[in-house]
Amino acid sequence: MSNEVSKFSVQELDLYYSNFQALKKINMEIQEKEITAFIGPSGCGKSTFLKTINRMNDLVEGVKVDGKIYLDGVDIYKDIDVIKLRSRVGMVFQQPNPFPMSIYDNVAYGPRIHGIKKKSVLDEIVEKSLRQAAIWDEVKDKLKKSARAVSGGQQQRICIARTLAVEPEVILMDEPTSALDPISTLKIEDLAVELKEQYTIIIVTHNMQQASRISDKTAFFLTGEVIEYGKTEQIFNTPKNKKTEDYITGRFG
Amino acid sequence: MNSRKLKDSILQGLIYFSAAFTIFILTVIIGFILYKGVPGINLHFLTRQWEEKTTFVRVDKVAEPKDSDKEGYVSSLDITLKKDKEGNLYISKIGSDSSLDSAVDMLGQSFKVKSDDKLSKVDSNDLSELSVADAVKMINQSQDNMRLKITRPGGGIVPMLVSTIYIILLSLVIAAPIGILSAIYLNEYAKPGKILNAIRFAIQNLAGIPSIIYGLFGMLIFVQYFGMGYSILAGALTLSIILLPTIISTTEEALKAIPQTYRESSLGLGATKLQTNYKIILPNALPGILVAIILSIGRIVGESAALMLTAGTVAQIPTAITGNEAGAATLTIKLYMLMKEEGDIATACSIAIILLALIIVLNITSKVITRRFLKKQGI
Repeated sequence: MSNEVSKFSVQELDLYYSNFQALKKINMEIQEKEITAFIGPSGCGKSTFLKTINRMNDLVEGVKVDGKIYLDGVDIYKDIDVIKLRSRVGMVFQQPNPFPMSIYDNVAYGPRIHGIKKKSVLDEIVEKSLRQAAIWDEVKDKLKKSARAVSGGQQQRICIARTLAVEPEVILMDEPTSALDPISTLKIEDLAVELKEQYTIIIVTHNMQQASRISDKTAFFLTGEVIEYGKTEQIFNTPKNKKTEDYITGRFG
Repeated sequence: MNSRKLKDSILQGLIYFSAAFTIFILTVIIGFILYKGVPGINLHFLTRQWEEKTTFVRVDKVAEPKDSDKEGYVSSLDITLKKDKEGNLYISKIGSDSSLDSAVDMLGQSFKVKSDDKLSKVDSNDLSELSVADAVKMINQSQDNMRLKITRPGGGIVPMLVSTIYIILLSLVIAAPIGILSAIYLNEYAKPGKILNAIRFAIQNLAGIPSIIYGLFGMLIFVQYFGMGYSILAGALTLSIILLPTIISTTEEALKAIPQTYRESSLGLGATKLQTNYKIILPNALPGILVAIILSIGRIVGESAALMLTAGTVAQIPTAITGNEAGAATLTIKLYMLMKEEGDIATACSIAIILLALIIVLNITSKVITRRFLKKQGI
């Protein structure tokens, strides 16, 4: 209970894909500088909810959102420009998806589109971001090489560096390790734990061990609803809801 | 058992026969064109104007004539004359001190006489019946500031080559930006639905309309209504309309092949849609766009019906983009005119070889680009 500052406050959030209701009455407080994990079976709405937080769902046809999400007390669907929101709330995707350009250009992409042109400044940002993403030592000699020519785990860390380069406050991770081998997965997990010193991290994962290893809070989603949300230890050791217990003990999902 | 075997053999025979037949036809056509056309292809064919052009020029004699006993050397002009196979006298060499460099035409404009130009008259004396030695004598005896009848030989395809290139460039300058931007609109901005489907359907149908109908439209609208005359601009505008569907659909294919995650990550980093299109989408679609452009060039090179009705059939190098000076026959049109109006099969086949070579080069280029692109995707 050290620093219980609410970064996101979600109130009565409903989301519809055309006629299908994908999220039902979500209420959630997400704390600053913590890792919050979303778990649940496929199609339960956890990724949808994650994408709602930085309005990536705007890109999908026929999406309708009711309810409120506040970032530091400001309504993200009303009072923040979506471009500004996405530079404050960065995202790391399921598949490592560096752009087909050099490692340097990948990391410098964000700063460049926000108007930074000076090479010395860019150099600094690229190095800092790659160091933060714990990949600097592995790629410092091949910054001009294609970012798609390195291993999947390295690509994913380059993507994290790319996200960090924009200096976001929040990092959303959508199953960031599902396409990676166990060693790369551990590296990404360690990285997430390190990053929470400075950033608020929200991670969607299918891997319950992962959630229990790294997260502070866990939310269990089922058919578009939050069944249970609380401290990770409590969710995994003493779940209050029968469905949560069934899912965690592997009885379904 | 036996009947099944028989059936198999017959079917297999049919398959082999069909394949062999196709190859046979192709070989016969190409063989015929090569057989008829190759003898006509030489340096002159590739570098000369189409029409012979006669000019009268005035030249002074050389101040200090050099003596030389070389056959055909005209000391008063420092040039060498020869006779060609048909018995025409022509200038085979122009010496470095030659006064022909300062020749002027009847209007007083300077006229550059080149080697290979035919010479048939000095003042009022006809040279065509004389031997080389007599002709040399006749010129040396002429007055100072003599008048020469110079004929620049024709028979080359330079005007058609130049016209083809002009029309290619002009059409692409018009069609490529519009086509690429339309494809980006359709793929990146337009909301999926009935209207978009209708637009796509219209584009697909535009691609199937016979080009002579576009030619008719171009003639009525560009040539007549806008008063462009038979001109490369009217031709290029008509071709642009013909090219648009191909450029749009090929570019759209390239855009569709770009993983959605690129768009998502770019937008996720706070890029605007325009920045994403400009920095991520366009560079990745570039190989596809290049293929679209190469296919378009092939289409232009092969087009005849539409161009005949809009760009005309004159074998000249256009010096304007509209009006009389802008009429131009491309290689394909000239081929048609040669067959239809002159029955000159040999020259038509020579042009056909040039066209075939162009198309082959374009196809290979587009294959190479596509392969590079696939390789890049595969990383």
